[in-house]
Amino acid sequence: MNHLIEQYTTTNKYNFPQPTIDSILPQRFFEQSINTLKQVRYTPVQLGQQIQQFSPTEQYPHNIQLKPTPIPLKPNHQETIVAATDTSTIKIGETTTGIIVAVRGATTWKQNDGYKYTRLGPFIFHITEDNKNQLYNTLERAYFSTTYGNCHQAAPNIMQMPTRLASLLERWLQTMLAKTVQNGVLLFDGSLTAGTPETPTQRLREILSYARRNQSTVLAFSKATTLRANGLLITEQLPNRDPPYLLETAGLYSKPPMMLLGDVYVARLNKANLAFRLDVDRETPVEQRVEAIQKLLGNDLYTQSYPETLRLSHILSTFTANEVYAIKHFITRKHGIQIVNRPNMHRVLFGSYGFKGEN
Amino acid sequence: MKLYKKEGNILEVISFPTESAEKGDYLLIEDADAAKALIAQVIDVQFAAVPGVLEELLRTLPDGGEPLQGEDIDPMEIAPHITYIQDASLLNGKIRATLENEMLSPSSSWLPSRSQSTIKKLSIPMLLKLAKVDGKLPITLGGTKDSSLLTIDASSIDGTLNIITGKKGCGKSHLSKLLMVNLVGYKATVVIFDLNGEYSSLGMTNDGKRNMYYDKIHTLVPSQNFKVALDQLPLNTVMGILVNALHLPGTSAREFRRLWKMLKEQGKLSMQNLGEAIRDLNCNQHVRDALASRFHSFANSGFFTDCPGEATLLDESIFKAKDSGGAIVINLKNTSNIDRQIVVEYVLGKLVDSLSNWKLKAVFLFAEEAHLYLRETYWDDIVTRMRHYGIFTTFITNQPDTIQETIYRQADNIFLFNFTNEHDLDVVSRAARVDAETVRSIARDLPPHHCLTLGKVVRDFPIVARVRALDIKTLGETRLFFTDKN
Repeated sequence: MNHLIEQYTTTNKYNFPQPTIDSILPQRFFEQSINTLKQVRYTPVQLGQQIQQFSPTEQYPHNIQLKPTPIPLKPNHQETIVAATDTSTIKIGETTTGIIVAVRGATTWKQNDGYKYTRLGPFIFHITEDNKNQLYNTLERAYFSTTYGNCHQAAPNIMQMPTRLASLLERWLQTMLAKTVQNGVLLFDGSLTAGTPETPTQRLREILSYARRNQSTVLAFSKATTLRANGLLITEQLPNRDPPYLLETAGLYSKPPMMLLGDVYVARLNKANLAFRLDVDRETPVEQRVEAIQKLLGNDLYTQSYPETLRLSHILSTFTANEVYAIKHFITRKHGIQIVNRPNMHRVLFGSYGFKGEN
Repeated sequence: MKLYKKEGNILEVISFPTESAEKGDYLLIEDADAAKALIAQVIDVQFAAVPGVLEELLRTLPDGGEPLQGEDIDPMEIAPHITYIQDASLLNGKIRATLENEMLSPSSSWLPSRSQSTIKKLSIPMLLKLAKVDGKLPITLGGTKDSSLLTIDASSIDGTLNIITGKKGCGKSHLSKLLMVNLVGYKATVVIFDLNGEYSSLGMTNDGKRNMYYDKIHTLVPSQNFKVALDQLPLNTVMGILVNALHLPGTSAREFRRLWKMLKEQGKLSMQNLGEAIRDLNCNQHVRDALASRFHSFANSGFFTDCPGEATLLDESIFKAKDSGGAIVINLKNTSNIDRQIVVEYVLGKLVDSLSNWKLKAVFLFAEEAHLYLRETYWDDIVTRMRHYGIFTTFITNQPDTIQETIYRQADNIFLFNFTNEHDLDVVSRAARVDAETVRSIARDLPPHHCLTLGKVVRDFPIVARVRALDIKTLGETRLFFTDKN
């Protein structure tokens, strides 16, 4: 059967990025993925009761003010590379000893009026209490081997592991963009807050430094924010004037070990009544920041006030239900893992009251 | 394949890309624990409603741009599995029978196990064997999709009412020729109302040589080699022609009957004497005029003669066909509408007469576009009364709505070619021996020369076959102006 499936469509063979780019991390992702799946061979896996896609979020104390005068923006059509990256992870199911998760990342860029992408993954891991330390440290070492040398971190608990793995992959993809794109605008998903388990300060600092060295500007868009000024979300206090514009913030500080490596703005890029938190590398001169955002306006689409390149990265890395079925099919056929439907305890105990808002 | 749903006699089966199944295929759903199996026919193939497929397709289309181009680095080779799931199909099947202890029953009242049942394609030869579609008088209709032959038994079209229908140029006449020559081969008597003069060459091969049927094909051309003397005509037949074909009113018909009997008693029944008797008839002027106009129709048709030597061919043909089999082709190509009705009334009357006197055992009648020459009241007559005499009719038409609904309801076999028009499919789907979904779904997608065979001949297991070629000279092709260019 596997043979037949392989014949059905040709697969892009694993072709690691160009030799000048460090490819140790994806290689380790692949090796560890295979290793962990071997450990679960021929044991049943229970389906997760709900399909979950994890997105890292952060929380920190703040006392923020929103400056009343917006910075007006004008699209700058000077040809500039706009590139973005995002990752996604999903729990495929549970085994008696752990969980099976999939991780994937995507990089998108606009080139010659068309969008191009590179997707890496999915990588499928069987994470258990027994292998999580070894798995995490191997992948960490793969990252640090080219940057800081040997580093040993305590692995998170199993439920945090998918997010950590996705963050590792995301930082690696961001590093690759920062190292390779010159005079470009680099779009990251989320904020430029460092010092969290997912984003060590040194790692993010280095990514921003690579970007600056290549005259690129990093803009980090958050799809949702919890930052409030005077009790109201900063993205919901928009002045009565025509977009595009930026609103500056002041007074935002973070508690160590968390660090803000960017200055926070509210960006409203078009007439859609949506605004987003935008973090811009703090070490980038103010004029260059504004110029970068104006180049983004002149080079990318932003129909919902959100850059299309970043939207595509998110969409391309996200797992669809169809892909989840395919991954289950893969682990069943290739690794002999039998999938078992575990009864949903909420439904068993509470009947129609146990659906937790599901349709 | 996996059993997904059963509602009534409809089954839904999930099929993966490596398991090819198409419309018309048969599936065997075996439940080993129940020691039974369902036989279902695929009547539609759809994409399975796999969650997330729409998102999968849409995400390659960015806002306002061209399709997204990119590279997937997929070291674990998940992509083929994604395509595999994405291309899964849902087969809608109609349950045709239950197989238990190698016996078939039309039941669909039990439920096979969804998890334990095994589903596989049932080959046509196996199906035909299970359904016992065999016999001593095989007629090979053509090849099925799995390269086997669809062979029916000639006895299954004996005593039956058949319909061959489909849109123009899809092979109806070809199939009727195939059935005819096979019936003739089994020494049956076949009569054909040949509207376009295309059956006259049944006795010739493609290259113009005589074939094995040459001596058994008797082509009768009305008013040329096919004429009738009045004294050979039974009064009932003549009255049938006058009333039904020439619409003679009742009073005039009574006067004609009296006149006919008088001439018969005097031994003077001829065209000339009949004409004179009508002219000299002492009766109401309108009655005389009515009779005179019908007499002129008779005379103008050229079909009636006073010369007994010219008027023996039909009897001769029937006599020849009676023992060694033969096809009597009534070529109506150059016959006017009225004359056509006269000829048909005569032939049918003559057949009933021959059958009722046991001069003939039975006749297979092939009627092409019968609405052009058959009066309305004859339809029911043919399928009820004449059937008891031994006239077994096959109607051939490309306008299915010209055949009455009652005929469809009583049809034993339907040979259905491609139709795309919904109205035509609706009409055919009224046939009692088939369900509307099968007709609508399968007939619409039939390629040219492929026929969906329904009814007794296939023991109610609808089967699609490509009608086999015949080495017979073709005369039924449409004449084209741009022949050279084509």
